Amino acid sequence: MKSRFGAIPAADISADQAIPPAEIAVAPTTLEEASQALRIATEQRMKVLIWGGGNHQGYGHRVHPDMVLITTSLNRVEVWEPEDLTIVAGAGARISQVEEMLAEKGQTTLLPHRSPTATIGGALAAGLSSYKRFRYGPSRDRVLETKVVTGDGRIVRSGGRVVKNVTGYDIPRLMVGALGRLGLIGSVCLKLIPTPASAVTVTVDDPAAALAALYRPLAVLSTRSGHSAFLWGTQAEVESQASRLGGEVQNGHAWPPRRLRQVAWSLRLPPSRLSEGLGRLPNSWDYVAQQGVGIAECATDQVEIGAATELRGWAESVGGALVLTNGPETLYERIDPWGTPPAGLDYQRKLVAGFDPYRVLNSGRLPGGV
Amino acid sequence: MAATLTGSNTKLRDDLIRLLGAERVMDSTLERHLYAKDAGVYVGNPTVVVMIETTEEVAQVVRAARRHGVPVVARGAGTGLSAGAVPEVGGVVLVTTRMNRIEEIDTENRTAWVGPGVINLDLSAATTPFGMHFAPDPSSQSACTVGGNIACNSGGPHCLSEGSTVNHVLALEVVTDTGDVMIVGSGAPDPIGLDLRGILVGSEGTLGIVTRALVKLTPNPPDVRTMAVAFPTIEDAAATVSGIIAAGLIPAALEMMDQLMMQAIENWLHAGLPVEAGALLLAEVTGVTEAVAAEAEIITSIAHGNNALSVQVAASPEEREILWKSRKSAFGAVAQAAPDYYLHDTVVPRTRLVEAMRQVYEIGERYEIIMMNVFHAGDGNLHPLMAFDASEPGRLDKVKAAADELVELCVEKGGVLSGEHGIGIEKRHLMPLLFTEMDLDAQARVKEAFDAEGVFNPGKVLPEGSRCFDFGRPVPEGAWV
Repeated sequence: MKSRFGAIPAADISADQAIPPAEIAVAPTTLEEASQALRIATEQRMKVLIWGGGNHQGYGHRVHPDMVLITTSLNRVEVWEPEDLTIVAGAGARISQVEEMLAEKGQTTLLPHRSPTATIGGALAAGLSSYKRFRYGPSRDRVLETKVVTGDGRIVRSGGRVVKNVTGYDIPRLMVGALGRLGLIGSVCLKLIPTPASAVTVTVDDPAAALAALYRPLAVLSTRSGHSAFLWGTQAEVESQASRLGGEVQNGHAWPPRRLRQVAWSLRLPPSRLSEGLGRLPNSWDYVAQQGVGIAECATDQVEIGAATELRGWAESVGGALVLTNGPETLYERIDPWGTPPAGLDYQRKLVAGFDPYRVLNSGRLPGGV
Repeated sequence: MAATLTGSNTKLRDDLIRLLGAERVMDSTLERHLYAKDAGVYVGNPTVVVMIETTEEVAQVVRAARRHGVPVVARGAGTGLSAGAVPEVGGVVLVTTRMNRIEEIDTENRTAWVGPGVINLDLSAATTPFGMHFAPDPSSQSACTVGGNIACNSGGPHCLSEGSTVNHVLALEVVTDTGDVMIVGSGAPDPIGLDLRGILVGSEGTLGIVTRALVKLTPNPPDVRTMAVAFPTIEDAAATVSGIIAAGLIPAALEMMDQLMMQAIENWLHAGLPVEAGALLLAEVTGVTEAVAAEAEIITSIAHGNNALSVQVAASPEEREILWKSRKSAFGAVAQAAPDYYLHDTVVPRTRLVEAMRQVYEIGERYEIIMMNVFHAGDGNLHPLMAFDASEPGRLDKVKAAADELVELCVEKGGVLSGEHGIGIEKRHLMPLLFTEMDLDAQARVKEAFDAEGVFNPGKVLPEGSRCFDFGRPVPEGAWV
């Protein structure tokens, strides 16, 4: 099997990652190996689950795989051009390690990495952005090039390694949030952001007033224990912005800790409806809410289907969504993780058919069972 | 091909007149000629031109065109440069300029619903009272439409810090190949499912027709500093750009122009440009006052380290205005050099700017073409402008050959075919320089997913025969692939 699938590094398959049982697990070390594995899967009509660090597997409908394709050996940083602020890295590269490297020259991908095992491919496939998106926009705005392996084993490169590009259809952007339905993200070129010299956190009483007082802060976050503004820039800039707020100033960014709970929901609303949305959360739900963005990441130990359904109904009525992002397997049988599917489902199905004609890769995971 | 209306085309025209009234259906020789080209050099051949006003009309026109087996080419103001709106094989040219309503400005969410025919600058003017603007600012912004910006994923000087149009579009109302209407994207972040909004932006009207857009508005900066830095050579200016980016600074804009271009602009605008210098760098920093001051200082110091001759800081909004006017009206000024021009658009990694510029001039010399340059240096986005006289026999062919060579040079350096103008007809034959057959086939599958019958803007973006790779398509069960 080794020549066909590549070796499976034992260290990456630990019990706590809870890789679901499958006939076979493969850990390709190159895109060609991944291509071979997926051709075999296509030929055998196997269901394949893509697995990176195992941190974002709670997204989407459940997949019961015949094959688990582990990406952690596709972890090479191919190119880093500090002067051009770009990097090309394998999907299985750990964000934490890449960030450590980039920090040497004061640069960042801005990808969220609250877990040390989170991979670039996993974060992008799940469509995740960090809290810094209020200032810098979502992660998908920084994906310049992708090399993907389609469900039937084609290796497809799209985009380019430059910061501005309109050469052909923007397939790299389409890969973000696609949960692997259009292919395994093999490697990506990302636009980097220079890390400013100074960072502070300021506690604020009124998040709306803070947003109004500041010019494009990094973030204003709310939790059940209060609100904070996060500033980033030159020292003079940060000091002047902080002084407009008048709250308690702390050096560095004191991001709210991630509470590990059984169930996680992502509430997504037009920014102006966020406060109202927070008021509608069940009391048992903790949250980190991104003011001005409209996202509240919620965590709870309670499985409250009724409350979630009601909240989802309201969120959808104002143009938003309530997405289940983690929870016990049985919960996914009782409630659709996505809610009402979006418009254009037909076109989503046709797109997927072009990239995964035999419904091999993460099949059914997207809204509407796409 | 479909040069005159005959047979079924007459029936198409009759259908369109029934839908829109005779005054909004144009097919005289003059009218068809007017809509045969965009601002570039390619000429097409419209079958009929329609001025549409509502989403429902677009849907009906698409259905009618489909019934008659005639394609639909959407067109905004026609300021495109890659022939994206040129009806190469005939068809209905669907003009969106009358769908120019700014329907709703939501100051709380900093968004606006707009028609595709809204002029870019009009949108920013309408949102100025609320302290906001629409960030994409192509040089043609006083004429080009938001719909056209969406089709081409347009840029502009300030997309260095703000990103291209796609970063500023949250949702789209689209008429599909079946003549149905769907809304993709959302005013809420991270809409679920595949990002159809993202793939539609920049698709050059080949996947659907945008009839409304929810765009993001950007708060106006509290302070701004615009600097004009003169250098003895273009290399010094390019080295300064690389130095600024490498220093971890992303200014709001970093624009460059060479001496020939400066002279052309100065001759009619009298903006006080340093025409004796080899190159001019226009740098703008925005933000809170403290940040602006600090960044301006860093830029000045990097410029001096690269032999800057002078650093002029705009002292008033009027001075800033005239500097930007000189930049954005550059192409109009070229008429003094020659009656026609071909404006190119390619990208190189920012680290390769100096060598790329050197080779751009070499190509100009070799083809004996006046090569003028004004471009988005901070993005590595080159805009060599070739001034020429199209009435000279064989001249245009020579210009096109030089244009292809410019693209090849940029691709060799790790760059791409286009940064903001799009592929259209102009560069589709060059797509194989950048992509393999398999890559192009994947892109053709995107087209196929949205428009299998080729209703929308046929022949654009991808070279003919792109959907060629049938590997993995009909795989019999049990067969080895």
